[in-house]
Amino acid sequence: MSFLEIKQANVGFGPVSNRTEVLSDINLKVEENEFVAVIGFSGAGKSTLMNLLAGLQRPDQGSVTVKGQLVKEPGPHLGLMFQNYSLLPWLSVFENIELAVKTVFPKLSKSERRENIMHYIDMVKLTPAAEKKPHELSGGMRQRASLARTLSLQPEVLLLDEPLSALDALTRSELQDQILNIWEKDKRTVVMITNDVDEAVLMADRIIPLTIGPQATLAEEFRVNMERPRDRHTLNDHPEFMRLKAEITSFMMGLNKESKANANSSSTSMPDIKPKDFSLPSARLDFRNRKAKPSGSRSVA
Amino acid sequence: MSQKGSDKFKYGLLKAIDVSGFKVFDPVVRLIFAEEPRKQIQDIAKYMLLPIIFCLVCFFMWDIIGPRHKTKSGEVPSPGKVLEAAKDATRFKQREGEKEAAFVAEGKDREALLADSKKKLTEFEEKTAELQELSAAAAKSGQNKIDASLNPIKEKYDTLKAKYKTAQTERKEAISTLADQFANKQASKDELIAAMEEDSLQKESEKEELKVLSQQLDDIRANPPKEIKEAQLAANKAADEVQHYKKVIDILTTGNREVKKNALLEKAEKAEAALTVATTGAEAQKQAKAVVSNKDKAGKADEQKFPKAATIYWQTYRSLATVFVGFLIAVLVAVPVGIMCGLNRIVMACLTPIISIFRPVSPVVWLLIFQIIVGAFFPDPDKHWLFQTMNESKLLPGFIHNLQVNPAMIFSACTVAMCALWPALVNTALGVSSIDKDHLNVAKVLRLGFWSRLFKIIIPASLPLVFAGLRISLGVGWMVLIAAEALSSSDGLGKYVWDEYQNGSSQSFANIILACFVVGIIGFFLDRIMIMLQKLVSFDDGSATA
Repeated sequence: MSFLEIKQANVGFGPVSNRTEVLSDINLKVEENEFVAVIGFSGAGKSTLMNLLAGLQRPDQGSVTVKGQLVKEPGPHLGLMFQNYSLLPWLSVFENIELAVKTVFPKLSKSERRENIMHYIDMVKLTPAAEKKPHELSGGMRQRASLARTLSLQPEVLLLDEPLSALDALTRSELQDQILNIWEKDKRTVVMITNDVDEAVLMADRIIPLTIGPQATLAEEFRVNMERPRDRHTLNDHPEFMRLKAEITSFMMGLNKESKANANSSSTSMPDIKPKDFSLPSARLDFRNRKAKPSGSRSVA
Repeated sequence: MSQKGSDKFKYGLLKAIDVSGFKVFDPVVRLIFAEEPRKQIQDIAKYMLLPIIFCLVCFFMWDIIGPRHKTKSGEVPSPGKVLEAAKDATRFKQREGEKEAAFVAEGKDREALLADSKKKLTEFEEKTAELQELSAAAAKSGQNKIDASLNPIKEKYDTLKAKYKTAQTERKEAISTLADQFANKQASKDELIAAMEEDSLQKESEKEELKVLSQQLDDIRANPPKEIKEAQLAANKAADEVQHYKKVIDILTTGNREVKKNALLEKAEKAEAALTVATTGAEAQKQAKAVVSNKDKAGKADEQKFPKAATIYWQTYRSLATVFVGFLIAVLVAVPVGIMCGLNRIVMACLTPIISIFRPVSPVVWLLIFQIIVGAFFPDPDKHWLFQTMNESKLLPGFIHNLQVNPAMIFSACTVAMCALWPALVNTALGVSSIDKDHLNVAKVLRLGFWSRLFKIIIPASLPLVFAGLRISLGVGWMVLIAAEALSSSDGLGKYVWDEYQNGSSQSFANIILACFVVGIIGFFLDRIMIMLQKLVSFDDGSATA
């Protein structure tokens, strides 16, 4: 039995007479300490899938289990990190995490609790901003605070719902590294939802595409057989990375075409152009020598 | 380093100004710290000087136009007169304070006060005599002035009157001869009637002319020159002071609490002395009774309070207390009910009809209803425990006794509560029901219980809207209170205005306008306090404030 399992789950909205099936026939198995990325277009039902995993939504049919236990309601063992931070704006970073720690570990002494909180704040490198209110922080800092809060719950499963989609490219790559670092030090099961192929390939062990809704379902998985830790600077030269990226991208484009064709029979034909990396290898080397951190995933569009 | 310190101070100050809602002073502070002086001076000119000038223009127009409008209670008072009324009100309060001090003073204090008051009395007596002399002189010289403007018109009036009188007798004679002629058939009927009509028309026009002149005379007499009025006013004021100090001395010598008590104790002693030498049983009984009753009275005299007259200060204090009590009741009802409405759609559906129907009801109606319903709880207010505790209990501090709580105050407070309830309730319900869904999801993930969800998530998240509602509520309450006090004659600013209106003198007109300013300024500060609280609880940098 897998650590986390979804079996033939269906989710729909609306009255019986006019029901829209958002997700249908979802089957997912995640092993312990595995990092799985679910990739899909916006509007495909990704967030619904996440709510399903977090227990915020019950499937109409099928089941969601963690360690064999049926997920009936949300809880701290399913550490959901929200897309738009969801920090409580009237509390400081410290207090936000304190609320979580206090609720989940009520037996800790005051000093233990404080130490615990500072440990997670330190982990996401927010120590100088611990006493700040969320509106005083940048988007990246808020997301880090949100990550620290989720980690402080010491969840069995970490559910990341498009954690980085609201951030700019530079902050994004920085946070990707941070999340990976933390995960490698403190392994746990992660399901991440994303719409960025590079991000998925960089971070995940397996990538599972979500087809376009309505009636979205999970398609055939892509296994990422790259050694860890993965270096984003050398990744662009990695044949496996290039292959996976091309494959997944073309698969996703195919999905898109298909759905467009389904929705509207007159499809626009796209020019037959393959993207290519035009920059000189030596230039890329220079970049690295200057110790700048180019968002490698972006330089090859 | 010092530069940084002053910067910190500056931004702290600017933030304090912003939170307290006095952002107008922002450029002044910046100017003091020499930040872009040119821009600040421009801002000050635009947003401070121009408004001040505009207000001054308004006052100036009031000063000019007001006194030209004559009403039943005299002319509309000018700003100067209102200021004078404010000063008088303050002096009145001081006098009441002095009288009370005279009433409670004991031993050496009393003697010192007595000496002081006597000194002041002679001082003011001298001053009054002086001023009265001046006033008489002014009246004399003014009389000449009056006569100078009065006499020509009077002469004209007298001559005209004499002239018209002779003209009238002449016409009368002419008509009577015409009538005789008609009787002798020498004149026609029409001629006689025409003469009669002519006469009545003449009479009418003559009367009219005389009336205009007499009106002019009356006007001059009614409006003596300013200097007479002023001299008289000054003399009257000094005479008022004399009256006041006479009264104070009177209180100090006879009305004083200690003096009364000592007199009673003396009587008791005398009776006791008489008792020791009493020979008959009846005599002994009589003296013993006198001892007891006088001692009893002396004990009660100790607790007696000076019956202070109502000053505008006390009325304001009472109004503030009433609105505070009413507002507190409104908050205690509206916030929990509002939270329940926001949390549960069934509760909301149940309460919606009640809210919709009772919200538009006028405060006047509520007051009458409360007078009937709440009044039933105190059939005999003097003996009711609530008023006895509020006004007499030793456990409560003096400033609560000072309020002199009575049923009318309770009715006014209930009316305020009833009218202030709705905005707070509706806003709280809105605030609770529009909480960000993500915040509720956080509560779900943390598996917070009902109470911690309520106190850790729901209430903090809805506080900005709740306070926006409370601010409206307090404004409504303050407005309603004045009307309720006027109608229920519960002592307070509303009753003050109403009493002054009933008084109907020119002075009371100035007092009404004074009360209008007092009400306005207090309302302004109440609103500012609420804005401040609202800014303090809003977490997204003031975007929740209106």
